[in-house]
Amino acid sequence: MLASFWLKMRLRKQLLKCKHVTLQRYLEALNRVLNLNVNDVELVALDLEMTGLDPQVDQILSIGIVPISHGQLQMQQAEHKLIKIDGSVGQSATIHGILDHHLEDAVSIEEAIEWLLEQTQGKFIVAHHAPLDIRFLQVQFQKIYNENVKLPVIDTLMIERNRLLKQHETLQDGALRLGASRARYNLPVYNAHNALIDALACGELLLAQIQAISTQGQVKIADIAKLT
Amino acid sequence: MDASELQPVLDFLKSLVPFDDLSEQTLLQCCKRLTIGYYGKAQGYVPLDADNPQLYIVRSGAFEVTDPDGELIDRLGEGDYFGFPSLLSGEVNTRVHILEDALVYHLDLESFDDLRKESRLFDRFFNRAYAKRMRHQGRFKAKELTTTSRIRTLMSSSPLTIDMQSTILQAAQLMRQARVSSVLVIDNHKLAGILTDRDLRNRVLAEGLDGALPVHQAMTTTPITVHPNTIVFEAMLLMSEHSIHHLPVVEEDKAVGVITSTDILRGQSSQPLLLIGEIERQKDLPSLINVSKQIPLLLQNLISADARAEEIGRILTSVTDALTRRLIHLNQQVLGEAPMPFCWLSFGSQGRQDQAACSDQDNGLLLAHEPDEHAKAYFEALTKAVCAGLNECGYVYCPGDIMAQNPQWCMSLEKWQGVFEQWVMSPQPKALMHASIFFDMRSVYGPISLFDALQDRVLANTKGNDIFLAGLAGNALSEAPPLGFFRKFVLERDGSEVKGIDLKHRGSALINDIARVYSLFAGIKEVNTAKRIRVLMEMNIINRKDALNLADAHEFIGHMRLANQGHQFTHDQACTNYLLPQNLSSLVRHQLRDAFKVVHDAQSGMKLKFTRTF
Repeated sequence: MLASFWLKMRLRKQLLKCKHVTLQRYLEALNRVLNLNVNDVELVALDLEMTGLDPQVDQILSIGIVPISHGQLQMQQAEHKLIKIDGSVGQSATIHGILDHHLEDAVSIEEAIEWLLEQTQGKFIVAHHAPLDIRFLQVQFQKIYNENVKLPVIDTLMIERNRLLKQHETLQDGALRLGASRARYNLPVYNAHNALIDALACGELLLAQIQAISTQGQVKIADIAKLT
Repeated sequence: MDASELQPVLDFLKSLVPFDDLSEQTLLQCCKRLTIGYYGKAQGYVPLDADNPQLYIVRSGAFEVTDPDGELIDRLGEGDYFGFPSLLSGEVNTRVHILEDALVYHLDLESFDDLRKESRLFDRFFNRAYAKRMRHQGRFKAKELTTTSRIRTLMSSSPLTIDMQSTILQAAQLMRQARVSSVLVIDNHKLAGILTDRDLRNRVLAEGLDGALPVHQAMTTTPITVHPNTIVFEAMLLMSEHSIHHLPVVEEDKAVGVITSTDILRGQSSQPLLLIGEIERQKDLPSLINVSKQIPLLLQNLISADARAEEIGRILTSVTDALTRRLIHLNQQVLGEAPMPFCWLSFGSQGRQDQAACSDQDNGLLLAHEPDEHAKAYFEALTKAVCAGLNECGYVYCPGDIMAQNPQWCMSLEKWQGVFEQWVMSPQPKALMHASIFFDMRSVYGPISLFDALQDRVLANTKGNDIFLAGLAGNALSEAPPLGFFRKFVLERDGSEVKGIDLKHRGSALINDIARVYSLFAGIKEVNTAKRIRVLMEMNIINRKDALNLADAHEFIGHMRLANQGHQFTHDQACTNYLLPQNLSSLVRHQLRDAFKVVHDAQSGMKLKFTRTF
């Protein structure tokens, strides 16, 4: 309860601080649904592929989103966007498998950010280890809108960490990774990896986590979202 | 989005029957139309929405489907479906219990209908599952076996070859090493000739030719050749016309094999007609035993040729019949003429003409009238010799001692009639147990009028005999087929999971029982299960749809039983009727499950008709 109270307070503060109309409208839409049950809110599972791990230096290569409504992942609206980058994908290609020639049909990062804000309007972003993805987005918000904003997002890694700690388990190395977390909920192993599949994997994990948490009662969005 | 972006989802669907029949493009469209949900065990049940029916595809986890009374219908794991009856009929009458946390893909009605339009197989899969229909026309067409088979099936591929410039000695050594009677001589990748044992004798040894000379001096140049698609019969003609025993097989100018007269003989000897002919030619027991060693091979050939299970049963039984008759004949040559007419009766699987591998003997003797001491001694000697002969030919003694050599089952017509009458009029448990064996009787040898006198009397007693039939039906209901499969286990009706299933006792035998009860009720003389079902359908005692389904289920289970035994044979395992589900493809699991369902439904129908209970 206390956590959700703080979330509401801090989101309101963000709203007051924010000047750019696009982001302001975006935050307002989220603020309106903050009190609802998680299954009554629209969510979007998100994953980014990047050229590296440093938000200041590295670039976003692709964005995968899978919307969640009525507690179910909607593959019909699932999308995968490749993004133009400066220079070459370089060594990171070995991890995400995106090669330079794949990016020929890609959109610019400005277009992609605008598209993402549209797609997630009034919907909460869900990501595994969300702070990293969000920081990459925030660098772009700064560049495009000249705003330094925080977003209320759902981090499946954080949910998993809290659950495990609550069960007084010691956290093994790698226990919070996406695959390891999914295994605890009897979710299948996906061998392929791209932003879309990882977003799907993250979304499925959240559905499982909600099921597990909701045995103690309804889960409100404010209980699990964090201003990041 | 292209295919690679949703690969894991696509791959999963692709691995499922009937989704595997859809094109890549359609599958990708299908992936995009899915919604994905998670069902936690604590939730209890899946909320099925009658207004919004969808196909539920289990991606992980497990469910249990029950009817409104709580009766178990199925247990489902990864790759199984539920929800389709409501897609096809709009009814939601099942309850789906969540056994393990589960991830489920949902496909909405509109997408489901699109897929049904796109693929006939897809449509039939779900329709059949819904209507519990299981006709699979044309799936098990028997292949041509006899003289119309092609050289390709008999020839030795990867033939032994040698270069034209090699020496005769080298050629001979090569043949010795490979233990063959011929070698193909090759010049510049083309067939130049053939060198055979006969050439080595006639052209080398007899002529005093030096073994160091090149092989082309001894070979037969430009030999007569055949194509792999040549009919075996034509090859036989060529051989006898030119009095040769070896034919090189050439395809597109390349030597691809050799066919010898021995290959052809070996291929033919496992043909049923030839085998029966051979049995009839044998003059003593040792040679009969020798010939009967081909029976397992015949069974394997029939199985690998994908012959219908019903035909395989009939063929194998006709071999057993021929062997029995031959044994009777040979022994009569020693013992002399029988003192009175008699019939050699076969019971059980031989009676029903559905023998398979590892059959034991079930037989008896029917005498025209009461034997005196002399006749008794004669028939004792005859039956002992025939039963012993059968045992040595691979039909082991009956563990239950139901054999003609047992005086209990060597009786006059009058006594046999009396025994049957007693079974029918006071159906004790033991009598009912006997029924499954004795009521499937057939005469293998002897005057048909004598046999008819017995069978007609028996049928007159059973026809419409409510008490007897109720007992017989009740007995037939003591075993039920399993429900289906769950993961690598067989799922029993009480929900327990076992490792494997006895396809004979939990499948074929149940259908035999059903056909027997109805046939005795209607006074039908047929004892072969497929024929019984056909007659019952023609007489309108079982409706057409049920009869066809039952016949299909019988054929399918019989086919699986034989295929399983074929698998055991080729893997040098002991021959059993025990099937392990982990060896089954997903399609076969679904089909077997449907077959079990047909058997169970037929059992319920029989229960209702004959035992007046539900």
